[in-house]
Amino acid sequence: MSRATPTRAVAAWALIGLAGFVLLPWYAQQEGVLAFDWIGGLWSHADSASGLALIAAHNRWWLAPLLPVLLASLAVGFVGGTRRQRGTTLVWLAGIGLAIFWLQALSIGLRGWNAEWLTLTLGEVGGRQVGIGIGATLVLLSLLGLLSLGLAQRGAFGGDAFVAGAMVTVVASIVLFTAWPVLRILLQAFNSSDGTFAPALLLDRLSTAKIWSLRCLTGDGRCGVAWNTLFLALCCGAGTTMLGLAFALIVTRTGFRMKRTLRVLTVLPIITPPFVIGLGLILVFGRSGVVNQALDAWFGIAPTRWIYGFQGVFLAQLFAFTPVAFLVLIGVVEGVSPTLEEASQTLRADRWDTFRTVSLPLMKPGLANAFLVGFIESIADFGNPIVLGGDYGVLSTEIYFAVVGAQLDYGRAAALALLLLAFALGAFFLQRRLVGTRSYATISGKGDSGLPTPMPAGLRRLAQWIALPWAGFTALLYGFVLVGGFVKIWGRDHTPTLQHYAKAFAVESGPNGLIWTGAAWGSFWTTVKLAAIAAPLTALLGLLAAWLLVRQRFVGRSTLEFATMLSFAVPGTVIGVAYVFTFNVPPLEITGTALILVLCFVFRNMPVGVRAGMASMSQIDRSLDEASATLRGRAWQTLAHVVLPLMRPAMVAALVYGFVRAVTTVSAVVFLVTAEYELATTFIVLRVINGDYGLAIAYSCALILLMLAAILLIQLLVGQRRLGRRAAPAPIAARAGA
Amino acid sequence: MSAGVEFRNVVKRYGATTAVAGVSFAVASGTLTTLLGPSGCGKTTVLRMIAGLEAASEGAILIDNEDVTALSATERDVSMVFQSYALFPHMSVLDNVCYGLRRSGVDKTTAATSAQEALQQVGLDGFAQRQPSELSGGQQQRVAVARALVLRPSVMLFDEPLSNLDARLRRQMREEIRELQQRLGLTVVYVTHDQQEALAVSDRIIVMNRGRIEQDGAPRDLYERPATAFVANFMGESNRLRGAARRLDETRVAVTLGDSEIVVTGTIAADGETDIAVRPETVTIDPAPGPAGSLPGRVVKATYVGTHMEYTVETAAGALFAICPRVDRPLAAGHAVALSLAPRGILVVGG
Repeated sequence: MSRATPTRAVAAWALIGLAGFVLLPWYAQQEGVLAFDWIGGLWSHADSASGLALIAAHNRWWLAPLLPVLLASLAVGFVGGTRRQRGTTLVWLAGIGLAIFWLQALSIGLRGWNAEWLTLTLGEVGGRQVGIGIGATLVLLSLLGLLSLGLAQRGAFGGDAFVAGAMVTVVASIVLFTAWPVLRILLQAFNSSDGTFAPALLLDRLSTAKIWSLRCLTGDGRCGVAWNTLFLALCCGAGTTMLGLAFALIVTRTGFRMKRTLRVLTVLPIITPPFVIGLGLILVFGRSGVVNQALDAWFGIAPTRWIYGFQGVFLAQLFAFTPVAFLVLIGVVEGVSPTLEEASQTLRADRWDTFRTVSLPLMKPGLANAFLVGFIESIADFGNPIVLGGDYGVLSTEIYFAVVGAQLDYGRAAALALLLLAFALGAFFLQRRLVGTRSYATISGKGDSGLPTPMPAGLRRLAQWIALPWAGFTALLYGFVLVGGFVKIWGRDHTPTLQHYAKAFAVESGPNGLIWTGAAWGSFWTTVKLAAIAAPLTALLGLLAAWLLVRQRFVGRSTLEFATMLSFAVPGTVIGVAYVFTFNVPPLEITGTALILVLCFVFRNMPVGVRAGMASMSQIDRSLDEASATLRGRAWQTLAHVVLPLMRPAMVAALVYGFVRAVTTVSAVVFLVTAEYELATTFIVLRVINGDYGLAIAYSCALILLMLAAILLIQLLVGQRRLGRRAAPAPIAARAGA
Repeated sequence: MSAGVEFRNVVKRYGATTAVAGVSFAVASGTLTTLLGPSGCGKTTVLRMIAGLEAASEGAILIDNEDVTALSATERDVSMVFQSYALFPHMSVLDNVCYGLRRSGVDKTTAATSAQEALQQVGLDGFAQRQPSELSGGQQQRVAVARALVLRPSVMLFDEPLSNLDARLRRQMREEIRELQQRLGLTVVYVTHDQQEALAVSDRIIVMNRGRIEQDGAPRDLYERPATAFVANFMGESNRLRGAARRLDETRVAVTLGDSEIVVTGTIAADGETDIAVRPETVTIDPAPGPAGSLPGRVVKATYVGTHMEYTVETAAGALFAICPRVDRPLAAGHAVALSLAPRGILVVGG
């Protein structure tokens, strides 16, 4: 039989649940569980009692059914029966346990029953509940673990407990931290402001000229925000994909000598807080920016507000999202088998034909993914439209104003969010149609010793003509931002100074060592800590989901794929509001904690890990997985020893993205930060609002340095994928010179 | 003799299509059995079901007399050599060979020792630190074999292992695989679409067609006594002719080809026109026309292939492809010849 001992695993999970039920406080503790002030009241005090004590001594009868469920699961670990029978029993027990757990948690809240009809039908409940604590969490985890084991023993997922566990983990976390809050806020679209259900309101909210007007085409007014959003997203998706491809081709397929510089340059915008690109564009093109000042001084042309509008947002988004496309595409371009290109060349195809008919089609899934990412990033972007949009309104800013303005209309915000989701859905299905189910496996189990084909000359020149000026312009933009941090007031007083940096990052030596007196230190360390926690979780969950989606066959695959994309498509503003809306009441009462920030980071940034992972994994031949399986490699060993090492580019992308986005995000967290957990970006935004540009720029530069360091560290730790392929040939001139 | 692998009425369906339609067979321990058939006949699916990479839709699969139908690939005591070799490109040769041992919990040094031994067995000592991409196709193949071998599995599976090698290497590798299998007493199931390869390496051959077993037997039986027209056609080259057949008794049939009547072993349902297969190497070509009982004809194509001559001869019974070992005295096209057919080379394959 199997070498694993499922019965022991069952017993272990059941015991974890029982320990949580008996030995630890059920509800969340005021001072945190690590304060250990609950130990004395574990039995006697209702706030800090264990589940068992709550049933026995505090009249919380609704928790009682969980105990027999856990005990019965423990018994399953010790009785006989076939594997399949035990599995079925476990699935039932865990299912019942989970149902009871959520039923009681959702229906009994801070003031007894959560809904009036429950009080009317069942009478007063005689108790109230705060958010779940460590004990309840352990019980929940135990039930999920038992469910996974049960499913595996029933033969689901090839009978592999790890795959079943991964599936349950991914599904449960997405349901809990993406689907649930998003659904709650979207349901709000159907509710009137006082909370009654009124679906007709949705039509009212959606059918306004402000959303659908096409008047900009006829020249007498503005277009609706929906058209604006869509047009911007299409331009952004196409633009970033093209630029990303140009950069990826130059880096992987030419002997271009400044590759490393180029790599850093293309990564720069991604590690920049979103408003910095806007700020930089304003420093260049704004009314007091260099371009306008020069035009004014030399030709007497009055400064214009040209940058504010579509062109400004589009430019900023190109800067902001090209690096994402680049990160997605570099793995794809590297994955195209050189042998196939060589084969094509031997078939009378010249370099251009080869690129057009072989390389490019092979990159198609990657290109479609890059486009999708650019499209969705654009419709979800908030920072650039708010800084540069001017009159050009898009859905995300519209939602923001619906929530923070004088309106405070959650319903309207939710209705607009529904529209955004529809666009994301459209992009998703378009991508699936384009890519289809064709196989593009190009990393096979056979050693591939072909040489990457150099690009056709025309294409190489085109790529360089696009990418190099772009890189130059990026450098210029950053140059201005950098300088901006060292002058007193940009545009007015250009005296060099260090005052902004001193204000933010001053360190004094006191009697007990260093004193971090700078204004920025608090938010800086919080940001670093939370991002460092979130990044590995993001990568882990994203790649795990990608692996399940690509390598496992199961019912509901495309539903899961869509669910992983969901939080990505929802603009940060909505996610932020949804999180506050959902998680400031029991059962998951985590608003104001660091946990909610980490969760927000993880579930907002996971989709990039999923996409990068899927694109990269669909290029790894399935026979490698199968070889590992026939060589006694269990699913998790295959993942750890074969799949992950071959997916290093995707892993780097996911880690980098997870960290960087956690550091730079504004829109989602602006609702979630507290005085205790203030983040760098929200701190900077406050400074910008106060007109303190110098400090904002100085802090931003410091953040950029921090993220550069983090990226280098990640690249160093993860390393490159060793495929044993030879590098692209050096250009003739370089070889001749050597 | 115990069964290393046994299939009991195994069916595999993919949605509406049936890839394997009720297959039963047993592979004796310590033997090499080949699954042979054209592409799409279900042979690879059968192999993958033995490995546990595909789950059977119906029926039972036994390995070493133990029912493994419900076990995953990881849990089965088999290992497989893939058509693409499936060497892990990011690991050295040694790490590739160690992989299975390490996953089974063997410590590093023991695994390395066993791996070196396995590499030695396939003639690759000294290559341990190379990357797979630095090896030739044949060497990669050997690494794949060593990687499977080192686990000492109950059953070793080969999925068209030689199809990516050149002809010379293919012959050498198939001999090495056969030699290794006999030396170590391995139980091997081998998939190929190349009948010559199958004849050369196998103790037993199972010919498959459209998800079913056509015939199951020793190589010689299949070649000399094919049960169906499909097998006759698939096992080696044969000339397909129509001729009159007359049943003589239980085991003998008189076949008329042109003017000559030949008595051969075989059975037919009823006298009359029937399909007849003639093996080209059993046709003797006589440059002078004439001997009684022979089939007169005319050479229409002559090809020199080094070891022998290949002729196409037009006869009253139809065009015949023949092989002649006499290369010193080739016959030109247009030459009139007499063909004698050896009874053992004439197969009556059905009405």
